[in-house]
Amino acid sequence: MNENDADNQIPSYSISTAWGRANLVGNMLFEVDGLSKRFGGIAALSDVSFHVRAGEVLGLIGPNGAGKSTLFECLAGILHSDNGTVRAEGLPVGAQQRSSLLFYVPDGIAPWSAQSVRWILDFTIGFFGGCAALRDEVIEQLDLGSLLRQPIGTLSKGQRKRALLGIGLLTPQPALLIDEPFDGLDLRQSRDIAAGLRAHAAGGRTLFLSIHQIGDAARICDRFVLLSNGRVCGEGTVEELAVLAAARDMSTPHQNFEEVFLALT
Amino acid sequence: MHSPRPAFLWLLDKEWRELVVSKAWWVLLLAIGPLVGVSFISAVHTYAEVSGLNGTAAGVGEALSPLIGVWAPTFSALELAAVFLLPFVAIRLVSGDRQSGALKLELQQGMGSFVRIAAKAIVALAGWLLAMLPALSAILLWKSYGGSVYGPELVTLIGGHVLNAGLTIALGVATASLTEHPSTAAILTLSFTVGTWVINFFGAVQGGWWERVSGYTPAAMVAEFQHGLVRLSTVLIAAILIVTGLGLAAIWLRLGVAVSSRVCESAAVGLLAAVAIFASTFATASWDTSESRSNSFSEADERALRTIQAPLRIEVHLAVEDPRRLDLEHRALSKLRRLMPKLQVDYVSATSIGLFEQTKAGYGEIWYFLGGHSAMSRVTTSEGVLETIYSLAGITPPKEEETFRGHPLAVPPKGAGAIFYVLWPVLISVSGIIIRKRLK
Repeated sequence: MNENDADNQIPSYSISTAWGRANLVGNMLFEVDGLSKRFGGIAALSDVSFHVRAGEVLGLIGPNGAGKSTLFECLAGILHSDNGTVRAEGLPVGAQQRSSLLFYVPDGIAPWSAQSVRWILDFTIGFFGGCAALRDEVIEQLDLGSLLRQPIGTLSKGQRKRALLGIGLLTPQPALLIDEPFDGLDLRQSRDIAAGLRAHAAGGRTLFLSIHQIGDAARICDRFVLLSNGRVCGEGTVEELAVLAAARDMSTPHQNFEEVFLALT
Repeated sequence: MHSPRPAFLWLLDKEWRELVVSKAWWVLLLAIGPLVGVSFISAVHTYAEVSGLNGTAAGVGEALSPLIGVWAPTFSALELAAVFLLPFVAIRLVSGDRQSGALKLELQQGMGSFVRIAAKAIVALAGWLLAMLPALSAILLWKSYGGSVYGPELVTLIGGHVLNAGLTIALGVATASLTEHPSTAAILTLSFTVGTWVINFFGAVQGGWWERVSGYTPAAMVAEFQHGLVRLSTVLIAAILIVTGLGLAAIWLRLGVAVSSRVCESAAVGLLAAVAIFASTFATASWDTSESRSNSFSEADERALRTIQAPLRIEVHLAVEDPRRLDLEHRALSKLRRLMPKLQVDYVSATSIGLFEQTKAGYGEIWYFLGGHSAMSRVTTSEGVLETIYSLAGITPPKEEETFRGHPLAVPPKGAGAIFYVLWPVLISVSGIIIRKRLK
C-alpha cells in the first residue's frame, strides 16, 4: 500500500508527545514495511523493512550512498516514497501524520543561517512545540552556551552540528532521527555528544541515528539496521548480527563489529 | 512547558527576521527613495510649469489634477520596483528556506502548506508597505507646498499598487516553490512579466480577445487605478490570481507529495482559477474615485443616460491602431460601458493599422443603433457621442455643469531632493546596519 493511501485512511492518527512514557519503552514504536524509492532508473531504496522499539538507540549503518539519508527523508515525509508503509500501534501512519511520530534532523544544513543559536532554540520550542524545560539542559549537554549569540551561518561545521542536535533534542516527537550526528565533531566532542544522546534516550525517547563510522555506532547504539545499496542486510544487536553473519558465511561468529558489518554488506 | 505563543506567530516572527536579514529587501528600500524622488521632483516641476503658463483654464483642467499630474507619475516608481525588485524579495523568502535546508525542518511541523506560504506573503507585503513610505512621504511634501490632496483617488491609487505588489509576491513565491534555484525562479518571474507586456502589445495591435485579456494585466490594472477607477472585475481577478499563485506555491512546497499528484492539483487549481476569472469578468460594478471625474460623464449626463432603457449598439469602423479609436474608447465608450451595462460595441476593421482602409467607403463611420433607430457620426469626442445618443433616444441634452478646473500650483519641489536622495538612503543604510545587528 502506498503511504498516500494511508494518509487517506487514517486521518486522525496521533501519538502522545510524552515520549518518556515508561510503559512504552522496549515495545515497538513503529515499523517500516516494504519502503522503496527510485530516482529515475536508480533504486535508492528497495523493499526496506525493519522495526523501531520505544526508548532504544537504533543505528542505521551503511556505507556512503547506501540510501541512509533517503530513508530518513522518506520516513520524515519530506520525500515521497514509491511504496511501503510506516505502522505504529498496528495502524498505518501516512506521510502527513509523521510529524506527530518522529522528527528528522538532516546532515549538512544551515537553517535560518542569519539567526542566532539562542533564537533558533527558542523558535524550535515555540514553532515545533518543544519542551521549554529542556532548553537549559540541552544547552549544557551540547556545550552551546558560548554560541548562543552567534548566527548559525557563522559557526564551524562541528558547532553547527551541535546546534542542529540542540534543535532535534528540543523537539517533542517520540522518535528523533539524526543524520550523521557525529560528523564534524572531534573525538572528545563525539564522546560527550554520545553520552548526551544516551542520557536523552534514557529519558524514554527513541533515537534513530544514521552513522557511517562503525566505531561511533558501536559505542552508542543498542541495535542496528544495516543498509547497503538501498537494501536492509541485517537488523539486530551486535550479537544477533554476528550470528546472522556467521550463518551466512557458514563460520563462527565474528567478535568485531566491523567484521560483522563487512560480512553482511 | 510549551511556548504560549501560537506556532503561526512564531512563523511570522521567523519570516520577518528572514526578510530583515535579506539583502534583496534592503536594496529595494534603498533604491525606492531615489526612484520616487526622481518621479516626484520631475512631476512637480512639470505641474508647476503648466500651472504658471496656463493658469486655471478649463481646457487643461485634467492636466492640473494632482492625480494625473503628480501622483500617477510619482507612484509609477513603485510599479517599476514591483516589477524589477520586489520579485527577488519574495523569491528569497521561499528559496532561502529551500537552499539552507530550513524547509526540511519546517515541513515537519505539520502546519498547512497554504498557511505557511500565507505567512511569507503577509511578511513580504508588510515589507512592501514599508517600501511605499517614500511615496507616502511625497504626499506630505505636496501638502506642505500647499498642494491639493483628494483622499479617495489617492486611496485608490495606493490600493492599486498594493494589489499589484500582491500579484508580484504571489508570482514570486509560486515560481520559487516550483523551481530548485532562485535564479530559475527569477527568470520565470521576469518571463511572466514580459509575457504580460507581449499581451498588452498584441491587445493594442490585434484588438478582440487580446484587447480584452490585456485589460487585466498588472500594467493595465495599475493604469486604471492611476486614473482613480476601481472596477470590481479587476479587483476580483487580481485577488483570484493572488490566491492562485499562493495556492500553487503551497502545492509545490509539499516536498513529500508525489510530483504527479502535485501536477494534478496544480491543474485543478488552474482550472478553478480560470473559471473564477471568467465569472469575474461579468462583474460590472465600478467606481470613479477621481476628483476630476475623468472616468465618468457629468452627473447631469449620467442622469439623462440612465433614463435610456433600450439596449444600445455601437458599430465602430476604425482599425485597432487608429488614434481616433483610442480617443473614442478613452473619452466616451469606457465611460458609457460603466453606465450602460447593456451597451454592445462592435469594432469592424479589416486591418490593424487602418492605413489601407482610409479610402474605403464607410471607414471612420460610427453607427449607433437604439430602439429600432440608427444614426451615423464620425465624431469621437464624448460631447459628439452623447449628442448622437440623445438625438436617437429623443432626449433633450442636459444643461452643461461646471467642469473640474484643476488645482494649479506653481511651486518648485523644495526639499524633495534632500529627502529622497540623501535623507532616505542614509536612514535606510543606518537602520539596516542597526536592525540586522540587533536581530542576530
